[in-house]
Amino acid sequence: MNGSRALLSVSCLTKDFGGIRAVDSLSFDVEEGSITGIIGPNGAGKTTVFNLVTGLCRPTSGTVRFRGAEIGGRRPDAIVREGIARTFQNIRLFNRRTCLDNVLTPFFQRERCSFTGALLGLPGARRLERELADRAHSLLRTLGLEEYARSEAGTLPYGLQRKLEIARALATEPSLLLLDEPAAGMNPEETLRLAGLITEVREKFAITILLIEHHMDLVMNICSPIVVINFGALLATGAPDEIRENPEVVAAYLGAGRGR
Amino acid sequence: MDYILSIVILGGINMVAVLGLSIFTGFTGLFSLGHAAFVAVGAYTSAILTYYYYVNYYLALAAGAVAAGAVSLIIGAPTLRAKLRSDYFAIAVLGFGEALRVLLENLEITNGARGLPGIDSFTTLPVVLTCLVGGVLVARNFLRSRWGAACIAIREDHVAAETAGVRLFRTRLLSLVVSAVYCGLSGGLLAHFLSFIQPQMFTLVQSTQLLAAVIAGGMGSLSGPLIASFVFIALPEALRVAQMWRLVAYGLLLVLIMVFRPQGLLGYSELSSLFRRGVVREGERRL
Amino acid sequence: MFLQTLITGLSIGGIYSLMAVGYSLVFSVLNFSNFAHGAVIMLGAYVGLALATRFSLGLGLVLAGSVAGAGIIAVINERLAYSSLRRRKAPSLYLMISAMGCSVFLENMVYATIGSRFYAFPEFFGRQVVNLWGSSLSLLDLSAFLFSILAIWALHLFIGRTKTGIAIRAGVSDMTMCSLMGVDLDRLISVVFLLAGGFAGIAGVFLGIKYLVYPTMGWVTNKAYIAAVIGGLGSLPGALAGGLILGVVETFVSTYVSSVMRDVFSFSLLIAFLVMRPDGLFGRSGEEKV
Repeated sequence: MNGSRALLSVSCLTKDFGGIRAVDSLSFDVEEGSITGIIGPNGAGKTTVFNLVTGLCRPTSGTVRFRGAEIGGRRPDAIVREGIARTFQNIRLFNRRTCLDNVLTPFFQRERCSFTGALLGLPGARRLERELADRAHSLLRTLGLEEYARSEAGTLPYGLQRKLEIARALATEPSLLLLDEPAAGMNPEETLRLAGLITEVREKFAITILLIEHHMDLVMNICSPIVVINFGALLATGAPDEIRENPEVVAAYLGAGRGR
Repeated sequence: MDYILSIVILGGINMVAVLGLSIFTGFTGLFSLGHAAFVAVGAYTSAILTYYYYVNYYLALAAGAVAAGAVSLIIGAPTLRAKLRSDYFAIAVLGFGEALRVLLENLEITNGARGLPGIDSFTTLPVVLTCLVGGVLVARNFLRSRWGAACIAIREDHVAAETAGVRLFRTRLLSLVVSAVYCGLSGGLLAHFLSFIQPQMFTLVQSTQLLAAVIAGGMGSLSGPLIASFVFIALPEALRVAQMWRLVAYGLLLVLIMVFRPQGLLGYSELSSLFRRGVVREGERRL
Repeated sequence: MFLQTLITGLSIGGIYSLMAVGYSLVFSVLNFSNFAHGAVIMLGAYVGLALATRFSLGLGLVLAGSVAGAGIIAVINERLAYSSLRRRKAPSLYLMISAMGCSVFLENMVYATIGSRFYAFPEFFGRQVVNLWGSSLSLLDLSAFLFSILAIWALHLFIGRTKTGIAIRAGVSDMTMCSLMGVDLDRLISVVFLLAGGFAGIAGVFLGIKYLVYPTMGWVTNKAYIAAVIGGLGSLPGALAGGLILGVVETFVSTYVSSVMRDVFSFSLLIAFLVMRPDGLFGRSGEEKV
């Protein structure tokens, strides 16, 4: 399972919500530079895994290691500073802010700024604001969103909102990007373009991607390896071909909705 | 003429406090029923300094503002932690208001419930205008800065804000302290304009007026609440409306606005942007 | 002295519990702080007052009337001020603002129409005392305390045993699921507010009997919020425990230390709990679903 040292290593991770075991002693690794996919029927616990990795909830037991260091139970903003970013299943943008501001916010949080300088509007602070705005513009341009820079994020069409969320995640300058069902609600053509975008992002930004998806064409196309989760536990893991042929995986998915 | 001048000054003083609450509620999305308590702290601190200790007026104003900020830390530190919902803060600030009133009514130095008369009237129109203009500029710069972006991100979606690198607790606390400082400054200005303060002047009634101005003017806007707060001071005076009816109106207004037009007058936009675009943006607003 | 202080404390604690229960009920189902609760309590007191003075009804009917009256007021309040926000899934900030607006509106309407005069209930209990264990204990205090316990016990049975009660518990867990299971959400929420209003009515009458009736009496409810936090926001046993504890401890502080420091003490107690045990005594730590 791991040749080189894994970027992200989840080990015996368990999460209970009251009487419900959402994640059950799950272990898997994410190799640096890969696009790893997580699949599984609805309610299998996939988003909970993301929440555990990004600090939105605490593990009941087990470990989450990033670059060898334990990050389980740490605060979300601290984990972001370590280099893990994410998008959400139900898009969570800053709807009433412009696209530019959505992307600018993470850039800002990473800077050391002078408080008094900012309050008084000193030249140093102004210069920083302009610099960051330039970087934000350039990020938007890379993702093809520059023309929407001054539009309110909430007014964008759905597909572009998803791209914007990815752009905002990239603005935190992560080493690992977690995408939660990025293709949800997309037609096959859009999904194909998204696949291209994801691989392009991996190249351009030299990052590792971990992705939850239901669209099998997307997953089989660009992900390797693929981790299959069912009832919060690991069902199988391997290359796309292996997973496709795995009888247990097929059984788990029977009747549970094909790719949308 | 004098009467109109005093309305303008009172309006200006109120606008300073409203700027503060606007940052906390309008831009950070946190609810407070008790910011009048910070006005009280600023008023009493500065008044005590000039009255008993003959401290320079401007220093006293600053001290009042700082004191209000410091006091807000007492309430904010236990209640604004990332895991706690904003209800806790709302309850705590209500409790604080009562506790403060009791203290003010029973301490020697504040002269108890009878109030503190004979404060020098140092507050003039130039002073108020300076504070107001300065306050608006600083507020605008704050909102454009890294911390302002963090506040607004929290208002929009505090979960997404954290994943964008925003430190929830620190930002909320900062927003509170900044808003309290504005209110404290407003209190100092008020004390040295009316020349008399007493605990009953800083109750839920005043907190309601502040909140009503922020909501009616529009959350996420600076110019909206400024306009609203001035109207709320000037209009009732002009119409000679009794205090209790004003409050009936404020209460009704708050409910109606929340139900029918939550963005208030200029929510999420500024007066200047209306002129630039030349047309008022209508249509549905996502909540 | 000790026993008297204790009983007085329990009596005021019982009233705090009644108020806290109403508040916690709405909080646990709708996930927001209904800051208009105090105004409903106040209106319940006035309704009771009217029944007692204008119609010269006995205590039992007065209570029944104010329970009904406050309950209906609470339901109307929900329909007018909260339901459209709830349907739009507005953030709880909006609901709190609307609640505050209702509170201010109602209080000042009463102020403007009925006036700021302090009214007293007829002497239902007089100065009767009960002699117990060597102390004279106020009958009013004893009765208020016992009645509060009874009422909350009845609520507990209702929530535990009846169909509607079970629906309420389901709604506390998951509103969406509840409606998917066929529960009429609007009706359920109205029932919740009816119950909360009913408790507010009882609390209002007891407050009015023990002290006086006036437009701003609803602000005692701040103590109820503190009690609810101490007991654990959203928990009904917590509301009971928190109310009683706050009432008793406050009364002891008031009697043995200084009555002035009572409010300062309550605030400090709140802060202490928030620092050390924010979930309160019985609260469940809710993790937000992302």
